[in-house]
Amino acid sequence: MSDQPTDTPFIRFRHVKKGYRIGGEAISIFDNLDLDIPRGDFVAVMGPSGSGKSTLLNMLAGVESPDAGEIAIGAARLDLMGESARSAWRAHNMGIVFQFYNLLPMLTAAENVELPLLLKPVSAKERRIRVGKVLDLVGLAGRERQYPGLMSGGQQQRVGIARAIAADPDLLLCDEPTGDLDRKSADDVLAMLRLLNRELGKTIVMVTHDPQAARHARRTLHLDKGRFTEEREAA
Amino acid sequence: MSSQFNQVLVMTRANLLSLPRRSAIAASMAFSVALVVCVLAGFLSMAAGFETALKSAGSPTVAVILGGGTNQETGSDVPAGVIRTIEAMRGDIGAARGSAGNLIVSREIVVPVEKTDDKTGQTKMLALRGMDPTGPALRDGITLTTGRFAGLGAREIVVGKQIAAAFPALAIGQSVRLGSVNWTVVGQFSSGGSAFESEIWGDLDAVRAAFDRQGEVQSLRLRLEGIDAIGTLRAALATISDTPLNVVTEADLYAAQSAGTANLIRLFGWPLALLMALGATAGALNTMMSSVSDRTVEIATVRALGFSRFSAFIATWVEAIALAVLGVFIGLMASWLMFNGWQASTVGANNASLSFQLTMNGHVMLTAGLLGLAIGVVGGALPAHSATRLPLTAALRARG
Repeated sequence: MSDQPTDTPFIRFRHVKKGYRIGGEAISIFDNLDLDIPRGDFVAVMGPSGSGKSTLLNMLAGVESPDAGEIAIGAARLDLMGESARSAWRAHNMGIVFQFYNLLPMLTAAENVELPLLLKPVSAKERRIRVGKVLDLVGLAGRERQYPGLMSGGQQQRVGIARAIAADPDLLLCDEPTGDLDRKSADDVLAMLRLLNRELGKTIVMVTHDPQAARHARRTLHLDKGRFTEEREAA
Repeated sequence: MSSQFNQVLVMTRANLLSLPRRSAIAASMAFSVALVVCVLAGFLSMAAGFETALKSAGSPTVAVILGGGTNQETGSDVPAGVIRTIEAMRGDIGAARGSAGNLIVSREIVVPVEKTDDKTGQTKMLALRGMDPTGPALRDGITLTTGRFAGLGAREIVVGKQIAAAFPALAIGQSVRLGSVNWTVVGQFSSGGSAFESEIWGDLDAVRAAFDRQGEVQSLRLRLEGIDAIGTLRAALATISDTPLNVVTEADLYAAQSAGTANLIRLFGWPLALLMALGATAGALNTMMSSVSDRTVEIATVRALGFSRFSAFIATWVEAIALAVLGVFIGLMASWLMFNGWQASTVGANNASLSFQLTMNGHVMLTAGLLGLAIGVVGGALPAHSATRLPLTAALRARG
């Protein structure tokens, strides 16, 4: 697996427009936004509150549609897909790491990690093997039967990462993945994301407020008022 | 297993496992369903018990002949001349005959008598039936539990099991005043809980003499050759023009008597149960909306992972139905314990008291259970639909 991003854009935003109506007032978030992220890249998106980070992530995840413009990930045009098609596409091509982990508390760590695999034609035996492997990869071997409520925040986030990569997607979207963690746990999680990018070639887009977290990415995009104002390569 | 099935299975499991978080409101839904089931089961078991008491009394191979154009024994009059004509009929008239070629027939009269309940002090009207000695043999399922039947012309009575239970003064060997004369209780009989058990039987002539009804016959019972023979008997009796005769099987006579009262009981029970069901459905809707609200992040998260709307719908719906099933189970169990076999009485035919047992039969349980289930099905559908419409952004902006 290559540890360098390719030149061909994997994620492409072209002339993307997005706005909301709040109390009858039209508020524009993006107007003519363009973005290229090559396959294998690890991009941190930073910006102040209200800059459009969440909207960008929502559109990347396909849970929101642009008002105009193109959004393509690989060969898939998300802007042309319906809700069901986007849902099916997400299941096979994307993993999401949430700020507050979003684990189902009544399911064990293994059952949480297994969720994306239930969407694929994979036998129960294969699912068990795959769950064991990814939990091992995130350093939680032997904790398969533990419930999230009995784990630390860092461990829960590692379960969240294991769930995101269980179905082996090309793209990982991370929404403030260290926002709820102490520094030590945050560093562990970020090291893991870097490993997934460098060793397994996953393309990662991470929204964060934390400059230290952003330093783990290959490059950082600064978003302000719906525009990228600065691009910085990691040292 | 298909992916869709897997999704439904895991989401349903997660929903049901999360129920303890909402235990109070989930219990209130199950309780309201149980209440509806109890109310409906109570009324239906009453109607079913009443029907059972009357229908089980009627035999399809016994014909009842009523005169005077009425379809009830009260008000019926079968003239002596008509009885003689019938008894003189030869050939196949659809009626069974004894070894001597005679019809197996019983002339009968029913007199309402007052009797005071020793325990409650309440006065009840009881049915005293005077019959020929062949009368008991013309009742299917009759068992003389103690003593003997009344002697010919004697002021003796045998009492049905229900009457004996309600009136200890009618114990065997006791003398009891009915009307203006004293009667001696010489036996008790049972008939599997049928309406006969609410009657007192005596000799026809003794009853007629005691109540100044000499020569009167209200009904004529005779044994048919088979269950299809009623048509033949009707055709044979159509030649009699002295009085309009109503010829029915005993089964039809009691079924017609039971229908009115049973329908009246249901007429009270159903609207009340439906009204309560409406309230319970609104409660179920509220409970399930709370459930969806409680699980917003979980539903949005699995939907964001790629789970289908269908799985979100089914999982929420199953939760509502599962709670309704729990309510149905509790309701039926409580109804069974409270109502089944409970002794009740009402005014039956002949204006006399009719005792019966509330019956929680399969039909009652199925009907009450289905109404309870419908609360879950209807009350859960809209919240299940709303679960499919949750914004997926809820997963990304939610805290835990």
